[in-house]
Amino acid sequence: MDQSHIRNLCIIAHIDHGKSTLTDRLLEQTGTLAKRDMVEQVMDQMDLEREKGITIKAKAVRMSYRARDGIEYELNLIDTPGHVDFTYEVSRALAACEGAVLVVDATQGIEAQTLANLYLALEHNLTIVPVVNKIDLPSARPDEIAHEMENLLAVPNDQIIRASAKSGVGTADILEAIVARIPPPRADSTLPLRALIFDSKYDSYKGVVAYVRVVDGELPKNKKIKLMSSGLEIDALEVGAFRPKMVAGETLIAGEVGYVATGLKNVRDIQVGDTITHSENPATEPVPGFRPAKPMVFAGFYPTETNDYPLLRDALDKLKLNDASLTYDPETSAALGFGFRCGFLGLLHLEIVQERLEREYDLDLIATAPSVEYHVLKHTGEIITVDNPAEMPDGSEILEIEEPWMHIQVFTPKDYIGAAMDLVTTRRGTFDKMEYLDETRVMLGYVMPLSELIIDFYDQLKSRTRGYASLDYSFANYRASELVKLNVLVNEESVDALSMIVHKDYAYARGAALCKKLKEVIPQQQFPVPIQAAMGGRIVARETIRALRKDILAKCYGGDVTRKRKLLEKQKAGKKRMKRFGSVDIPQEAFMAILKLDENR
Amino acid sequence: MRAVEQIRAFGYNRCVNSEIALFVFIPFCKIKCTYCDFNAYANLARVMEPYADAVAQEISDCRLQIADLTAKSLYFGGGTPSLVPVAQIEKILRACESRFAFAPGIEITLEANPATADETKLRAYRALGINRLSIGVQSFDDATLRRLNRGHTVADAIEMFELARRAGFDNINLDFIFGLPLQTLADWRATLRRAIALAPEHLSLYALKVEEHTGLEHQIARGKYPKPDDDLAADMYELAEEMLDTAGYAQYEISNWTRSVGVGNWKLDVGRQSNIQLPTSNFQSRHNLTYWHNEPYLGFGAGAHSFFERARFWNVLSPVEYIEKITRGESAMADREEINRELEIAETMFLGLRLNEGIAFENFAQRFGEDARVRYAKEIEELKEMGLIEMSDARVWLTPRGRLLSNEVFWRFLP
Ligand SMILES: Nc1nc2c(ncn2[C@@H]2O[C@H](COP(=O)(O)OP(=O)(O)OP(=O)(O)O)[C@@H](O)[C@H]2O)c(=O)[nH]1
Ligand SMILES: [Mg+2]
Repeated sequence: MDQSHIRNLCIIAHIDHGKSTLTDRLLEQTGTLAKRDMVEQVMDQMDLEREKGITIKAKAVRMSYRARDGIEYELNLIDTPGHVDFTYEVSRALAACEGAVLVVDATQGIEAQTLANLYLALEHNLTIVPVVNKIDLPSARPDEIAHEMENLLAVPNDQIIRASAKSGVGTADILEAIVARIPPPRADSTLPLRALIFDSKYDSYKGVVAYVRVVDGELPKNKKIKLMSSGLEIDALEVGAFRPKMVAGETLIAGEVGYVATGLKNVRDIQVGDTITHSENPATEPVPGFRPAKPMVFAGFYPTETNDYPLLRDALDKLKLNDASLTYDPETSAALGFGFRCGFLGLLHLEIVQERLEREYDLDLIATAPSVEYHVLKHTGEIITVDNPAEMPDGSEILEIEEPWMHIQVFTPKDYIGAAMDLVTTRRGTFDKMEYLDETRVMLGYVMPLSELIIDFYDQLKSRTRGYASLDYSFANYRASELVKLNVLVNEESVDALSMIVHKDYAYARGAALCKKLKEVIPQQQFPVPIQAAMGGRIVARETIRALRKDILAKCYGGDVTRKRKLLEKQKAGKKRMKRFGSVDIPQEAFMAILKLDENR
Repeated sequence: MRAVEQIRAFGYNRCVNSEIALFVFIPFCKIKCTYCDFNAYANLARVMEPYADAVAQEISDCRLQIADLTAKSLYFGGGTPSLVPVAQIEKILRACESRFAFAPGIEITLEANPATADETKLRAYRALGINRLSIGVQSFDDATLRRLNRGHTVADAIEMFELARRAGFDNINLDFIFGLPLQTLADWRATLRRAIALAPEHLSLYALKVEEHTGLEHQIARGKYPKPDDDLAADMYELAEEMLDTAGYAQYEISNWTRSVGVGNWKLDVGRQSNIQLPTSNFQSRHNLTYWHNEPYLGFGAGAHSFFERARFWNVLSPVEYIEKITRGESAMADREEINRELEIAETMFLGLRLNEGIAFENFAQRFGEDARVRYAKEIEELKEMGLIEMSDARVWLTPRGRLLSNEVFWRFLP
């Protein structure tokens, strides 16, 4: 393949604006997938993606496209996720591309991640191909939205393609625009090999598979390669492209995107962001890697079966390959035993990681409530970081606690400015700025503590704005706050994994709400169980779970023993999903109760 | 086969005795009660006759290798068997008789709902050899009966009981439900008083469970009735245990009591006298004991369940589909589950523990060739600690608290 006939691009947009559906149309139109092999959002192959109807992982695919100029082009396309938690996936994909198709929903217009992802693409100097999608919908306003894009994104109106990823309208124009507007990779095949690892995964047959963009030189199979950060030498057992399944080939040339199978079994040997070169005639400088994603929220993961600890470690190692933004360090909890403190980019990320660990690695986990990372200045002058409320030192040792604050941007119709404002104020946020997107929509800027953002903020915002608002956030700075630790006692025993850090003005309300919530989610035991929230030595809230007195199966009718046994099996499985503290069984939901507190109830 | 040979042949001892129980399911009802999720229909009267034909045929066609087995009980359950014309019941009964040998003194039960049978019909049942009647009374409070859409009154229930006595039934069970919508402890006490006053031989008291997709579930979801209160239901259960005990009824299973025959206030007390031979009251339901002893039974009719030769199997639910299949000469079986040794042990434990006499270690050892105390050492210890079971040298059984929390006990015995 002539390098000038290669186009590397990704599709970026706000969540649900139709990236994956547009990818379907491109795959179809280029004949990469036959119609009979098509399903909706065919690239979203992970079970979780199909269930949730969202893209979680960025995914690459190679297509051949014969353009109107008669030339056959190789298009390396990466479909990216739109959710704010997965922005890191987008930024890595961008590093493998020269262009980006920017999709905007013709009914919703520019939303928070439209802007955020566009700025990322511009930072990487990518050529933008703007598309207004979903023009088939009756409520579509393509001209208005195009106008909005022209104003806000500074893209020329005449370059904006009207499309429907549902019906296929505009697909041909998009393909032509990709070929015409996006430049071919500027790469030199004659230089020593440099291939950037932008993603990876573990395959039980092929070992670690690295997804690469060849920046310089050529990467043929069966040649000794070297990881530039560690100097580790390995064989390129197999190289190839995604179509969209991995298809082996002979070589990857400069400018191409593909994969290399390493056979490595030790998943820690390879790192996303590293550069691959050849052992013979190596490159001298690696490709600039990625800024490591900084985890924002932290939670403890503990196996319900203590024996599964090594399995959990192994699973985390493997998952990390496919999710470079995940961090984890061993920790112990008095209540839960041995586990890991894991760092995530957001709550959805946390949820996805937990579900992937449980499904792909067949583990049963307890996840503790997410926390942010606090900076604690002690009287001794020592500064420590605390990302686990259980480890917060005693109040008497603390001079000051700082917590992370975020810039948040809320995109909303102007009718909901008041509603958004109210919510932000109850979460200790302060107003920063407001800009009109058009006559009816505004972008509101606030700063607020991350710890308030992670407790149900997004859902609340959605419900108070009838689903119209979208949200983006980024780290602002650390600020001192008057924070206290709430301890939770279940049956008179302190459960470290349930403790939380709150602003002192909220201690009573949150304590009461937490006790109430715990009363709902902890099943009745055979004795009354008091639940208390305490601040320092003082009890600030209390509830009691009444004793379970009756648990009988209904009539065992006509010998249907199977059904009765199934019910008992369910009960037994439920018990296994709980963790025992003293003599009280606490289910997973209890640890997440902190996230679902509704103080206003 | 002797026990030792059986253990050699199957790895464990199969069946303790070679008699089986027969069950016939009648899926017809006059109206559907709000709490009911059984396979019963109020609008299928037109297929009663073809249905009875199909059941009779299923029984005659029964291809299992059971030539040498004897039936010790036959149970017509529903639905409302008393709704079906006597001739249809007779047809089915005759089919059973010609396919299986009836043990001398075989227990033949028919379930009847008040206001569905007159004296003539009841006499006809008696003449057929039906010797036990189980009446679905459910409550002695008219308002409650109306709420449940039972389609009969308290007076109807009492009348049926008296007619049954006149027709010669000397073994009658009354079914009741407690924990019903808006039912108070005082209501329940009144119901129990009236039940005791009738002096039936047998009483079954079931805790209400709100099943999915029932009218009652819907009513509760809509807020028409409050959610059932488990504490109140527990109080009701304890009240029943106390009142029935005083009235000379002996409990022999979580939900079942018998009037002690002739012995006045004789009480079943296996705890302290565990090594004496237990006198079995004549009025214990022999048919239901088969289930609790985890012994074999064959079920006929739509949705009927069987347990035979290390397998549980059951028929298709739909009566119409059932009739079609049988008429075409096909098997009506919907599914089948092999019961391996581990499952059989678990089921034997959780079924047997329902009985007040509990599980006799010797029976267990004879059947499975191992000691339950060893296999379940950990579980038994834990449950004793929790006060849910008690144990003697010979057996293990539920405490009164354990009966109320029986699921907490049972799941621990699953594999
Ligand atoms: N009517 C209509 N619906 C569309 C169109 N494009 C996408 N959709 C629908 O919009 C929803 C979201 O589409 P996706 O392709 O999953 O969106 P996405 O941008 O990939 O979403 P994430 O990857 O989760 O950010 C789906 O229900 C699609 O069927 C379109 O052109 N017209
Ligand atoms: Mg997608």
